[in-house]
Amino acid sequence: MTDDKSVDNNPQVAEGKVAAVATEAGDKNSRAEGLSRIVEFKNVTKRFGDGPDAFTAVKDINFAVEDLPGRGEFVAVLGPSGCGKSTVLRLIAGLAPHHPATSGEVLVGGKPIPGPGADRGMVFQDYTSFDHRSVLDNVAFGLECRGVDKAARYELARQWIGKVGLSVDKDADKYPHQLSGGMRQRVAIARTLILRPRIILMDEPFGALDPSTRLRMQDLLIELWRELEATVFFVTHSIEEAVYLGDRVYILSASPGTILEELGVPYPDFPAKEMQRDPHFLDYVFKIRDTIESLESSDRAGDD
Amino acid sequence: MLGYALGVSCIVLIVGAWFLLTLGEEAESRIISPTILQSPWEVVASLPSLIIERKLLESIGATLWRVILGFSLAVLIGVPLGMAAGTWRSARAFLAPVVLYGRNMPLAALIPLTVLWFGIGEFQKVMFIFIACVPFITADAASAVMGIHDRYVETAQTLGASSRQIAFKVLAPLALPDIFVGLRHLFGLAFGYIMLVELFDAKAGLGYLISVSQRLGPRAHIYLILIIIGILAYGIDRLLAFFQRGLFPYRSEE
Repeated sequence: MTDDKSVDNNPQVAEGKVAAVATEAGDKNSRAEGLSRIVEFKNVTKRFGDGPDAFTAVKDINFAVEDLPGRGEFVAVLGPSGCGKSTVLRLIAGLAPHHPATSGEVLVGGKPIPGPGADRGMVFQDYTSFDHRSVLDNVAFGLECRGVDKAARYELARQWIGKVGLSVDKDADKYPHQLSGGMRQRVAIARTLILRPRIILMDEPFGALDPSTRLRMQDLLIELWRELEATVFFVTHSIEEAVYLGDRVYILSASPGTILEELGVPYPDFPAKEMQRDPHFLDYVFKIRDTIESLESSDRAGDD
Repeated sequence: MLGYALGVSCIVLIVGAWFLLTLGEEAESRIISPTILQSPWEVVASLPSLIIERKLLESIGATLWRVILGFSLAVLIGVPLGMAAGTWRSARAFLAPVVLYGRNMPLAALIPLTVLWFGIGEFQKVMFIFIACVPFITADAASAVMGIHDRYVETAQTLGASSRQIAFKVLAPLALPDIFVGLRHLFGLAFGYIMLVELFDAKAGLGYLISVSQRLGPRAHIYLILIIIGILAYGIDRLLAFFQRGLFPYRSEE
């Protein structure tokens, strides 16, 4: 139903005058609400199956992330295993079977999402590279789908291969099986960010990397995020990673996931390796660890 | 290296047993009568007559030509159908009955029918191989596409690929190496099927030579042809494996 409405609105927008009126009205609305909301969950519940076998992945999730102009916000999502962190990301991405939500509304830029799209890029933990494509063709994939001609997309892809710390000369023509896990994640990040999505969704992208590679990747991500000014949702198991990367940390309760705590955390001013040893930084980590542990124990008590 | 040695020792064992069972100058002194099983040497010695009098090479050519033609036709039809079935649930549901039926059909029963439809010439033999192979090739191609991890599709979707682009730029190329491996196995199957039609009726071909040898002798030719078939099948498989490495350089050897 909502889809039909937005389709009906489009032709109006195309006609000059009507469009101007519509935008003005829209501006007033957003001013009335403060900043416009880039992602908003209203009472979102996702249930799989029916009857006694039904499984509720997330329940009554409410949050709103504002579109910070010229900056974008970095939201880290933490929580115990199986609490529905990935479900939240996949609902924003519009990926089945998590999309659509069973009840409630998932709004991106104030509109319900019809399905997956390049405005919401996603980086996964595994199976990330298209094995049959060279690094260059992996990075250029999204541009190729958009119909950008070969010369232009390769030029931009080479720039991004450099930006994520790979060698344009040595690595561009390699196939994924010739790369290490960290290098493959660099390719995946370049392939997503080259499209300059306004929302970047990352589902434990560094979860399979060794600790030192992981720290380097965190610094790379911060650097690229500052350049892109996009809103990032970053799911992770690692509290240090969440506190270091995030402007805000959402903590989800155990299954079915509901957002229980929302914390502002310090801005990453130093490289990951230094900052994650800082006592002030560690205070935040311990505080969050205590919160999660108390959530888990109260959950267990509830089961007994 | 050990595996290679074990394989060779297996062959030596079989030939050794064969040698012992057929040891002796006189027919009466042998464990197995030479009218049933000739000695290894007698079998090898019959090679010149097989080549010259029975025109072995011509028959190898005829058999290979039929298999290659029928199998290629089956690949041209079966691979795209299977890929479609693997990609779209509706195509899968549509093709499922034919594939299931075709895979479980006792193929020998189809021979009289192909004669009825296509006569007894070359066309019938090619069509028999085609009909026999298409269901298997379709099923293999479909399962190769279905075996691709969903993550690849999801990644492509979040990069803005349309479902058509996902089918052609992601699923098809990722499935091709597995499909090719499947085709290598199925070619062996097709090679078996062609014997069936050639035994039934043919004017040349390895199956035809076997039936001639059985009726008119020498019987040693039957064993010789069986050995030649094994060598041919092995050679073809190695050739296809060689192409596979060239075609799919992005597939790591694991």
